[in-house]
Amino acid sequence: MLKVKDIETYYGSIQALKGISLEVNEGEVVTLLGSNGAGKSTTLKTISGLLRPVRGTIEFMGERIDHLKPEVIVQKGIAHVPEGRKIFPGLTVRDNLMLGASGRVKLSKAQIAEEAEQMLELFPALKPFADKLGWTLSGGQQQMLAIARGLMARPKLLLLDEPSLGLAPVLVQEVFHIIRDINTRGTTILLVEQNAFMALKVAHRGYVMETGKIVLHDLATNLLNNEQVKRAYLGTTKAARRQVVG
Amino acid sequence: MDCFLSVVYCNGFRQWTTDNGQRSVDFITFLQLIISGLAMGAIYALVALGFVLIYNAVGIVNFAQGEFIMIPAFFGITALVTWYLPVPVAYSLVLAAMVVFGLVFELIAYYPLRNRPFLPVVISTIGASILLKNLAQNIWGAIPLRFPGLFETGTLNLGGLRIGLQHLLILGVTLILLILQYLLFEKTLLGKKMQATAQDKQTARLMGIPINKMIALTFIYSALLGGVAALLVAPILNVTKDMGGPIALKAFSSSIIGGFGSIPGAILGGLFVGVIEAIAGKYYSAYTDGVAFFVLIAVLLFRPQGIFGERIAEKA
Ligand SMILES: Nc1ncnc2c1ncn2[C@@H]1O[C@H](COP(=O)(O)OP(=O)(O)O)[C@@H](O)[C@H]1O
Ligand SMILES: [Mg+2]
Repeated sequence: MLKVKDIETYYGSIQALKGISLEVNEGEVVTLLGSNGAGKSTTLKTISGLLRPVRGTIEFMGERIDHLKPEVIVQKGIAHVPEGRKIFPGLTVRDNLMLGASGRVKLSKAQIAEEAEQMLELFPALKPFADKLGWTLSGGQQQMLAIARGLMARPKLLLLDEPSLGLAPVLVQEVFHIIRDINTRGTTILLVEQNAFMALKVAHRGYVMETGKIVLHDLATNLLNNEQVKRAYLGTTKAARRQVVG
Repeated sequence: MDCFLSVVYCNGFRQWTTDNGQRSVDFITFLQLIISGLAMGAIYALVALGFVLIYNAVGIVNFAQGEFIMIPAFFGITALVTWYLPVPVAYSLVLAAMVVFGLVFELIAYYPLRNRPFLPVVISTIGASILLKNLAQNIWGAIPLRFPGLFETGTLNLGGLRIGLQHLLILGVTLILLILQYLLFEKTLLGKKMQATAQDKQTARLMGIPINKMIALTFIYSALLGGVAALLVAPILNVTKDMGGPIALKAFSSSIIGGFGSIPGAILGGLFVGVIEAIAGKYYSAYTDGVAFFVLIAVLLFRPQGIFGERIAEKA
């Protein structure tokens, strides 16, 4: 479904991606792991068009998208839920949701409003806050909203950037539950996470990045038992793992 | 043009202070001052809104905002005087021209520099301001022109309280425009997209919002606000290439007094400056134009976030 080949992306003269290749097949959850600054967010931004790769190609559903603008790429079926949620602070939860469908230009306002209501049913935690402004939400609510808003684009592929970051353990559990749920309903997911344990639990396959390169690529179950991954990302003690599981 | 219609360029309100009843004179004088102040303040508010909407959308202060009033004032004179068009046609034509003007302004002064930092873009708007003034002088000359008003000397007399019809028109039209603007921004998806673009461009793009269109629309709307303000205020001012400067400066002060970036702040700040200026102009007419800046400095000293800026400061 998504084929990323040898992409190199720069911030000015600083090279952040040094030839990334990865694939996501229809129906999968694929996770992209790596420590802070490895280039995970840069990879997602390059896929969604916020950044343009200097070299390499990105194919989605058999079509080159690496030269397209983000507002066009979302119409092709890739929704990017950015790091830090990026809820519009001065707009209500309902408005944030409705704007998530901005790329679907054929829908009328009434249809979009209707879908926003349905989305609120799917995210009952958000429903009581439908008319509250974005900035008044808690971190967990903002994350739910960010994911729900991404789904309003009716994406074939959902890019999630660190959805569990900064959330209390209970909420982390809930976010991963939602991710699994979305996938079961038929949406393919590329998940960037620092919480490697939880990510590998929900993912089919995983890639590990270090300083702009992919250093490891395997089935999620294999990565969970990989010594290198265990040492670097899963923590060596049982205590660390217990903490994550809650 | 009759003095009672103008707050800015005429000294005092002689007509009614002499021929009104004795007892209520002071109160009526005061009320009259407030109304004419509100009218001028409404103009500042419209121009201040233009500043704030562009600032919120693209993070720059548009130094050509004054020319967004001057240009339509001259357009109006051409349409009304030179072409002798009927008022509804002429006014519509001016507003239509401002739609084009706003778009062209955005495409030339802003769009090519959209990925540059604050300063080059601001300098570009200063350049545009100078260019527009020179252009205006070449086309319409250097002699101040008179913009034919709708009401020659009309006043409404309410039990001794005389209100200039032009002032009433200004207040009425501004009120309607603000209601329409509220509906646009709060009740339509387009308005929400414009707000989203102002709040976070990258995320707006990820949602599929065509941000360049939204920014162009913001410039167009800002130019339209200037057009409306010009049609309302030009009859009580002299139309010259430099007419926009003082209005824009006071509108800019208004928006800072109200809390820069805040839409209600721009409106209330504009009305506030208009009223203060009218009252001060009554008693110290020589300093009318300086009053806005005196208030601005006082506000910045004691409330740097602006009078109405609190909620915005909390939000950030
Ligand atoms: N806007 C930016 N300007 C310059 N460098 C950046 C920018 N964003 C990220 N980088 C750099 O690019 C590298 C990869 O960053 P990022 O993709 O955010 O990493 P990750 O998401 O894996 O933590 C880091 O070295 C980071 O410092
Ligand atoms: Mg990141």
